[in-house]
Amino acid sequence: MDEGMQLQISLDKLPIKRLDSIEENGFERFPPDVDYDEKRLSLIRRIDFAWAVEKDEEKKKKQKTSKESSTPWQWQSMVENLQLAHQELSVIMDLINTVEANDAVTVASMTRPKLLPNEALSDLAVSAATKLQCYRNVGKYFKQSARAFEQQVAREARFYGALIRLQQNWKVKRQRQAAIIPGNEGFTFDLFDNSYDQPAIIRSLSMSTVRVNHDAAGMLAINVSPDLCHSLQFGFVGAQSDDIQRKSNENKSQFSGEHNLGKTGEESSSDEECVTKTHSLLREVHKAIFSEQVFDLVNREAFNTFTGVSVTGIRENYLQLSLDQGTSVYLSLVSNDQDHPTVKGELTNNVENANLLLESSDGMKLEAKQNTPKKKGQFSNSICYEIYIQQIFHEHIFGRGSEKPISSGNRLSGIQAKDGSSLLGHFFMSLAHRIFSTKVLAELENVVCKVPYLQLISNPTWNSRASSWTLYMEVPQSILRGSQTKTSDYYEKNAVKRQFWTKVVVNDDCINVKAEGSPNVAGLFKGKSEESHSINKYDCNLADLPVIILQQVASQIINWLYEEALMVGIKANRDFLCLSFELEQGETLGLVASVDPEDSEGCISWWLVMEDSFAEEQKLQMNITDGASEYRKFLGHLSLDLLYATLMDLVGWCSGGGGQ
Amino acid sequence: MNKGGAGGLGGGSGAGSGPTAAAAAAAAQKQKTLLHRVEGDIANIVDNFSHLVNVARVNDPPVRNSQEAFMMEMRGARMVQAADSLLKLVSELKQTAIFSGFASLNDHVEQRRNEFNQLAERTDRTLSNIGEEAAASLKELESHYSSSAQKTLQNLQP
Repeated sequence: MDEGMQLQISLDKLPIKRLDSIEENGFERFPPDVDYDEKRLSLIRRIDFAWAVEKDEEKKKKQKTSKESSTPWQWQSMVENLQLAHQELSVIMDLINTVEANDAVTVASMTRPKLLPNEALSDLAVSAATKLQCYRNVGKYFKQSARAFEQQVAREARFYGALIRLQQNWKVKRQRQAAIIPGNEGFTFDLFDNSYDQPAIIRSLSMSTVRVNHDAAGMLAINVSPDLCHSLQFGFVGAQSDDIQRKSNENKSQFSGEHNLGKTGEESSSDEECVTKTHSLLREVHKAIFSEQVFDLVNREAFNTFTGVSVTGIRENYLQLSLDQGTSVYLSLVSNDQDHPTVKGELTNNVENANLLLESSDGMKLEAKQNTPKKKGQFSNSICYEIYIQQIFHEHIFGRGSEKPISSGNRLSGIQAKDGSSLLGHFFMSLAHRIFSTKVLAELENVVCKVPYLQLISNPTWNSRASSWTLYMEVPQSILRGSQTKTSDYYEKNAVKRQFWTKVVVNDDCINVKAEGSPNVAGLFKGKSEESHSINKYDCNLADLPVIILQQVASQIINWLYEEALMVGIKANRDFLCLSFELEQGETLGLVASVDPEDSEGCISWWLVMEDSFAEEQKLQMNITDGASEYRKFLGHLSLDLLYATLMDLVGWCSGGGGQ
Repeated sequence: MNKGGAGGLGGGSGAGSGPTAAAAAAAAQKQKTLLHRVEGDIANIVDNFSHLVNVARVNDPPVRNSQEAFMMEMRGARMVQAADSLLKLVSELKQTAIFSGFASLNDHVEQRRNEFNQLAERTDRTLSNIGEEAAASLKELESHYSSSAQKTLQNLQP
């Protein structure tokens, strides 16, 4: 209790009956017994609330003074009202507790006082405000949910849009059981083709099913590890630098693992990019599966002995084969990563290995060394062999258009394709043919270089195992007699043939030379110059080819000179490489061609040979090999006009009669 | 909107009832289920929304504001859940359309096949054109070389 507080004490009278009054007759009047209830009521009434009321009034006065001194706070009146209400309530509760503690009185009822109109309205306002708040909360919740739904719909639309576009090109499968995992509906791309063989599935099975995932933004994404994807590489052993340069110069595919979208501001264009990237990724995997299939098939077919190649090295994803001509090739599966340093290291070892392994076949080693300088020209073709082998197997596996694909694998079905040899055999025969025909071409070019009036014309055969060239010689009109410039039909028919051709055809490794030879009689009667000559056809090998060509050309020249002589009216005799004229006294003057492919100044040289009638006998006894001046004179490497002039001179001698 | 959907779906299932009656019956059953789900969800949303609106009246005292607040939350949550299930239904339908629209898929595949075949033919033609041009150029170049100074120069050199 505060010290300043005044303590008021009220004293009760003792609860004894006190005499109220005495009447005259002695009757004592006592006050009537107070009822139990009334006793309590009187007790209650005796509680004095004045002190509380006074307190309130004092407080009000204080607050009024304080209000006047400071700026009013907007909630001040509310606070005061609440405090007053609080005090009233505390008083009432004290009272109730006291009364109940004394067990004198219990509260009968409490009636709510009738609301004043402003209080009623404020109650209404409060409840309306509360309701409004509730609705606002509900509204906020709805907006939030709507936004979330919109985002989800947009995400799904993008995902399914991308999936539909990819479905236009790829097979999409769905596993319903896997849809339990949220965010993954169990879609997969199935990249395997039914055209592939059953046993070959094992190799590529892991790669052939690509799962469709969602990336961070909810867009479609696929997870492909780049090192699983290989591409086929074909090359010649011993040409590492070219191959590796080629591979590094090729534009690398846009290879990445899981890829994300672009910035959110460019969603539509990045969606396109995403679909395009996914499409190209799937295509990479598809191509890798095909490369693996090809490699597998080559592996299986390489061990068939009749293909003409032998396996000289085998490693994981690497197969080395050697052809009969000492050429070594390899076929490998190269990962699309920057894997070249290791590959290069392997290949450098391979050269020595290849050379060691070739010792087993006699003479091959030597040939391999000889072939080395020529290999440079072949290496630029390794890309086209790579493409060719893929094309062969592609046609084999997938067929052509709507045709049924041929089942591959065993030898019997392999024989059905391509001339009775297997696909790989065909490929390597093409390769061998190419190498061989390069050599043939080199020889022909060598010859043509040295003979100025000879032209080389290539005839494309569009066949991988056949090549053809024509060696063409034309006598220019200008070197013939001036009087023959204007020719009538008669002259044309009987004009001397001026165009000669020699055709060289190479099939696999067989060289066939076809050329116009000596005129035949039947053709002469027909009068057409094209049919007046027989066609010589014969096979030869590479070493003899230059000689044969030169001999053929020389004989064609001899034929031409013979025809010219006939035109002029001189009778001449013609041998294979010799044109001879008879002089008087039984002497013969001959023009003899000599061919030598090694001759650096020209391959066809001419000799003038004089023989008298005695020379026949002398030939049997002596060996006329040296150019004795009385019988032979070396004319040199004559051009066609010089030859014609020489002929005319000879003709002049013959007709003019004569000795030397 | 429901009736229009039903008509379209009915037409689709009628066209696809080729193979077996069981498949057609299963398809019809599935269609019924889907429609039922759709209707249930929409009724749910409408019902809850009407309750929400009904509670908007401000009562005289005694006020039941907190009770009504809880009820409003509950109805709001129910509406959102019904909307979510509708959206799931829509995505299911989309998936079905993607993966079971065989007629359109087959048509598309056929179209692509034709396109690719044409592309292959065109490529073959282009290749053969290139080959012919290369052959013609080769012929020309060879004849030029033969009649050129280069060849005669080569000859003159020892």
